[in-house]
Amino acid sequence: MNPAKALLHLFSPLGGDDADNYRAPGQISFMRSPFVPADSDELKASDAKYAFIGVPFDEGNVGKPGCEDGPREFRVASLDYFPYWFEFNVDLHGTAVDCGDVQMPRVNPAVARERIYTAVRTVLVAGKTPIICGGDRSVSIPASKALSDHLGAHKKMGYMHLGAHLDFADTWAGESHLSPCAMARITELENLHPDNVAHVGARNSFNPKDHVDLARARGIRFHPMFEVLERGVGEVMDETVAAVWDGTDGQYLSFNFNVMDSSSAPGVTATEPGGLEAREIIAVAAKIAARGGVSVIDVTELCPMFDISGQTSRMAVCVVMRIMAGIAKFHGETLDESVRRPGWTHND
Amino acid sequence: MTTQSGNPWNFVPHQHQGPHRETAPDAHTRSPTKHNGPVKSAGIMTFMGAPYCEPDRHKIRAMGAKICFLGAPWDLGTIVRTGASSGPQGIREASTQYFPYMFEYDVDLMTFFNVVDCGDVPIVPGNNELSQQYIADYVTECLEGGAKVILVGGDHSVPIPGARALSEHVTRHKPDGKIGYLHVDCHLDAAVDWGGIEITNASGPTEAFKLANCSGANMAHMGSRNGLNPKDWLDFWVDNDIPIFPMSEIVERGIEACAHDILSRAWNGTDAVYFSWDTDSLDASCMPGTTCPECYGIKAREAIQLARIAGEYGVDVLELAELAPLFDASQMSTKLACTMIYHYLGSRAATLRAGNETP
Repeated sequence: MNPAKALLHLFSPLGGDDADNYRAPGQISFMRSPFVPADSDELKASDAKYAFIGVPFDEGNVGKPGCEDGPREFRVASLDYFPYWFEFNVDLHGTAVDCGDVQMPRVNPAVARERIYTAVRTVLVAGKTPIICGGDRSVSIPASKALSDHLGAHKKMGYMHLGAHLDFADTWAGESHLSPCAMARITELENLHPDNVAHVGARNSFNPKDHVDLARARGIRFHPMFEVLERGVGEVMDETVAAVWDGTDGQYLSFNFNVMDSSSAPGVTATEPGGLEAREIIAVAAKIAARGGVSVIDVTELCPMFDISGQTSRMAVCVVMRIMAGIAKFHGETLDESVRRPGWTHND
Repeated sequence: MTTQSGNPWNFVPHQHQGPHRETAPDAHTRSPTKHNGPVKSAGIMTFMGAPYCEPDRHKIRAMGAKICFLGAPWDLGTIVRTGASSGPQGIREASTQYFPYMFEYDVDLMTFFNVVDCGDVPIVPGNNELSQQYIADYVTECLEGGAKVILVGGDHSVPIPGARALSEHVTRHKPDGKIGYLHVDCHLDAAVDWGGIEITNASGPTEAFKLANCSGANMAHMGSRNGLNPKDWLDFWVDNDIPIFPMSEIVERGIEACAHDILSRAWNGTDAVYFSWDTDSLDASCMPGTTCPECYGIKAREAIQLARIAGEYGVDVLELAELAPLFDASQMSTKLACTMIYHYLGSRAATLRAGNETP
């Protein structure tokens, strides 16, 4: 038997069992991974490192609607990538399962938040790293609470957010768990020290004064876009990654892809000009992966109906998979260099 | 425009305020406490949620407004596709997604400048001359009211009446006063005429050059590129010894150096400056919502940098042309255009504040 037989998915789908489903995948899951319910024994038994959780929740949103379609498009975009990443010589096949979407009640955000919390907590208890796709930015509130509780009061948590808005509203129109309140709630977690919080990419005029004031009052060092432009994304990431990862027991990594320039990510809820470019977010992913691990990844505010040619969802998947691949490489989980496509011969 | 407190800026911005009045006079710089805030509840849309003020010099002066937003929805002076007539409304709508407070400068633009929205110039369909006359009249009212003007087109023929109004305004108050004229654009726009017509959107700089108090020594062009720049347009700039800073030079030297060059040239010995900024100076990826999108333009971060540097010098009329929300995607162009204005104003405010000056 050809030892490469089990690695057919590494190669161009010109033969092998996966050939037929490249453009006709049937059920659409993150990275074509199997669906495994979050609360099942099967999840605990699985070898997978990551568990994808879709959160189609749009009721914490103060901007334009549409991010409840985020998980669906994120999954679809993931179908266009192979599990093999040549830059890392890493095979991500089998590293993830898809836990499906958290069941969302309509017009009952309190119940929705409870379910999000439970799903994330359950996945953490099963020993998997949740990859959460929102949904609006408020999804991060119950999800980060789940990590905080999972770690326990005696452990230290780190939190990194990349986004254009500070989201430090103590309340917004009297509500305390909306998207613009996300950082205000998250920085109230008891085992999250301000020194272990990083916010990168704030810019422009959707950052009212009370957000800035609250961030400063809580001792949060945020890194606005002008600072990123001046110092370069590499230097800022070195500093912030160290703040979040050094001396902490678990790290929550949160992306709102409005951190990107509108031209690089039109398909987000609140596009903002003057942000990062694609090549810069790839560098960000590399800096994060170089720490070798993360406890939770979330992607919020993907808004596919405003996207152009699927580019934003694809970029989001690319960033997440690069982090997965980078972490795998960090742990030496690279492929045997001698693996070749079955039947492969070369002429020289 | 008076309220219980007598200060019109306490009443606004309505979209941040809703049916129940906020309590503090600067409540509009903070998250809404009683209402769901900008974006979803836009209210009656004005630029920045600023109070409306009739474009009347006495009323503008009485309100103490130092920035007038004026829409010029004229797009029948264009030699390419139309659509720029929705530009002013596009910016107003984008501004509902922003607060008047800018954390980068720690300033509330609204109350620092007493911003007002003077509405749109009533253009006359099919009548270029009369429409331009009205634009000039309205700009004149704002300037005579003691305000600087944010003039939003409209196609790029808008600077023809805009610069004329500024030129006459300066002469009225200082007979030997001079103005500078800046043109940031993908296109050189130096048609002597287009099919015999001298006042299309391809002739802004040539018309400015005809103004008695606007010398070529205080003019400059920046951002030119690609193949919609016929030779006679280039010849105008070369023959009159006016520098152009083409895209290739911006790429080579950086936007900051070029921005300082054009602004210091415009302000060299002049009393006022007209800054005409075509949205197609931006790269098509950042600004699809323009009438003539072109690749190889400046990027959003560079545009914001240019706006900040312009704010350090200040201009009397900042005009944005050719914004066409019809062709936009995900509001990226209107939000960028709005942000360019906001960063100009934020930087202007920071500069004035640093020099202990008022607008």
